[in-house]
Amino acid sequence: MALSLRSWVANDGWARLVLVSPVVGGKCGSFLEDFHDILLWATVQLPPSDAGAGAMCESGLSYSFESELLPGAAAYVQDCPHLPQGKKTVVHVSAHLINAVSFSVRFSDDFPSLNMAQHRGQDPRIIILTTVPGITGVLLVLILFLMFTASSNYIRLSSYEIFFYTHNLFIIFYIILMLHVVGGALKYQSNVDMHPPGCLQSNHTSLSDGVGDNQKDSSLGATETFCREEARFSPHFPVTWLWVSAPLCLYCAERLCRYVQSSIPVTIVSVVKHPCDVIEVCMMKNGFKARPGQYILLSCSSVSSFESHPFTLTKCPTKKKETFCVHLRVVGDWTELLTHQLLTEFSQSEVLPMVHQTRYPKLLVDGPFGSPSEEVFNYKISVCVAGGIGVTPFACILHALLDGWMQYKLRRLYFVWACKDLQSFYWFADLLCTLHNKLWEENRPDYLNIQLYLSTQTEFQHLCEERYKPLSSRLRIGRPQWELLFDEIGRSNNHKRIGVFCCGPKGMSRALHSLCNSNPHPGVTFEFNTESFI
Amino acid sequence: MGKIEWAMWANEQALAAGLIYLTGGIVGVAGQFRGWQFAAFGVAAGCFVCMLEYPRGKRSKGTSVARTGQYCFTVCVKAFGPLTQNYYVRALLHAALSVPGGFMLATVLGCVCLGMASLIYLSAAIHGEHWEPILLTKEVKTAVGESIKEPPSNPPPRPPAELRRKRVEDVEGAAYVNPMPVITNE
Repeated sequence: MALSLRSWVANDGWARLVLVSPVVGGKCGSFLEDFHDILLWATVQLPPSDAGAGAMCESGLSYSFESELLPGAAAYVQDCPHLPQGKKTVVHVSAHLINAVSFSVRFSDDFPSLNMAQHRGQDPRIIILTTVPGITGVLLVLILFLMFTASSNYIRLSSYEIFFYTHNLFIIFYIILMLHVVGGALKYQSNVDMHPPGCLQSNHTSLSDGVGDNQKDSSLGATETFCREEARFSPHFPVTWLWVSAPLCLYCAERLCRYVQSSIPVTIVSVVKHPCDVIEVCMMKNGFKARPGQYILLSCSSVSSFESHPFTLTKCPTKKKETFCVHLRVVGDWTELLTHQLLTEFSQSEVLPMVHQTRYPKLLVDGPFGSPSEEVFNYKISVCVAGGIGVTPFACILHALLDGWMQYKLRRLYFVWACKDLQSFYWFADLLCTLHNKLWEENRPDYLNIQLYLSTQTEFQHLCEERYKPLSSRLRIGRPQWELLFDEIGRSNNHKRIGVFCCGPKGMSRALHSLCNSNPHPGVTFEFNTESFI
Repeated sequence: MGKIEWAMWANEQALAAGLIYLTGGIVGVAGQFRGWQFAAFGVAAGCFVCMLEYPRGKRSKGTSVARTGQYCFTVCVKAFGPLTQNYYVRALLHAALSVPGGFMLATVLGCVCLGMASLIYLSAAIHGEHWEPILLTKEVKTAVGESIKEPPSNPPPRPPAELRRKRVEDVEGAAYVNPMPVITNE
């Protein structure tokens, strides 16, 4: 598939442009003048602080989705939030080690106050270990190394706790970062007007004429000025805290806000067990508002004190009904324990059938947070592709359409759902059929186009219930063929802008992304948005 | 919450530390800095640690994802038997390899990182973990519809395919009496 520039710019261009770190040009100018003398004898590579990138504000991201500031950036940001910063750190640390060697080798007798080393040729390791910037630097690198090695994909998949707890070391990282600049290693010249760069010392002879004339006046030009006094250096006032505090304050404010909001208790209304290890939890919370496509963080203190896990809402609270639901698939130990606690209470009620004793564990809900799937309603035509449990954001969309489809800009929805097991379709079979029937009765048969795929082919299966007839006729065996599907969608909707939303395994997401970038149907723009849950 | 597998993390750390050690060693040797012999040792030690740590061990619970092309490394590491399986040995080995790196500036970072990996391995060993190779077992794939190529085992008249399909769990119930006597042409 050939890459189409127009499609690539529409899908990925903005994200790349916005997320490249800006170089502070203005700061560089004044930086160079003050540090002229230092630059003469040492190489100093100090990029602007990476502090801004360190503060990850989920609410900030949500705001950007809301206001459509960053189309297509959502997928990019969720994939690699601060990976480029880690790579820059390697360059940064290597440069500092070179600096330590420079401080030792190029010990200056002319400007003794600029030296970090105590004598020429001092072991750079001693310089590092006996100065505050050195020790704090080493500690910072160690913490970063721990965080980096624990954040690989494999560790996150196999032992999420290691990743989670090591990443919480960022608090210590920030404190040590603030202390890193103490010690005044970096100095600037404080009397530039009396000792401008390149001026000649008054007791040195100039090379152009044999006998130096001390009384040469400045009418000869700036290049021939004499120094009126010796250069004086003072330590640079540490401004790191200025760069760091603003995002840090934002982050702390956000965390406080989320903590206060999530401490309001949640009432569990019902727990339903679905096939293929999925349970549906319906809850109610005072003042909880969410839009279709958003997700929440669930935490349960009786399961784990510090862990919270994201789940997409499958039904949002509306004016008519205040309950909201999540469908969670039992995959790891946290979900297993939670399911056990939720369902055991249910089974105990069989002992006392008259008294409905349901004492569910205490659940805390944090959120809701935005996700790319909220944009489905902002297109006239949308294609929603779901893989397995990835159908949850789209289920919420379908619920919202069931409540009232006319209020949205959306005029046509292609719903493609691929599952490995036929039983999985029963999670939302009722919802799909109800919506399908409602749209047919309201004379909009072309609004919703459902395609179900059963990707593993063991034997011929179908949804045999009579009430699921609309679904059984739309069930296909085998994997979806994206090129054919997109060609058909493009032919039916020529000269339109179509939003493609994917929530499923990475392979599916990648295939769709490259297909959207390759402009499968000329005249139609496919804008790709993806959401992943790893 | 849950059983943490320390060895997985120690493996990632040791691999990263090996790479850092190797890089530092190359820089030290290339620049011919003071104490470059330690850097040369760092290159060798870094390579060795990378090769030892590249094959991932099998997880005790859950799916293990092997690194690309790790099969030949797995075979080599497995050949050393208990020396590589035991994490106490690995912890000691990494600690010993990291010490010379501390004598030269370029390899100092590698030394510290390998030291930390050694500590995590010690923790893994204390928790009773050991290294198991990930070796793929060949699974016999029964493709769909293969039985359709085989001729029917019973002569006609035959009941429909669903009833004819061999039900292993209920062989007695699956047996049927042929309504017409079967005469072979002998």
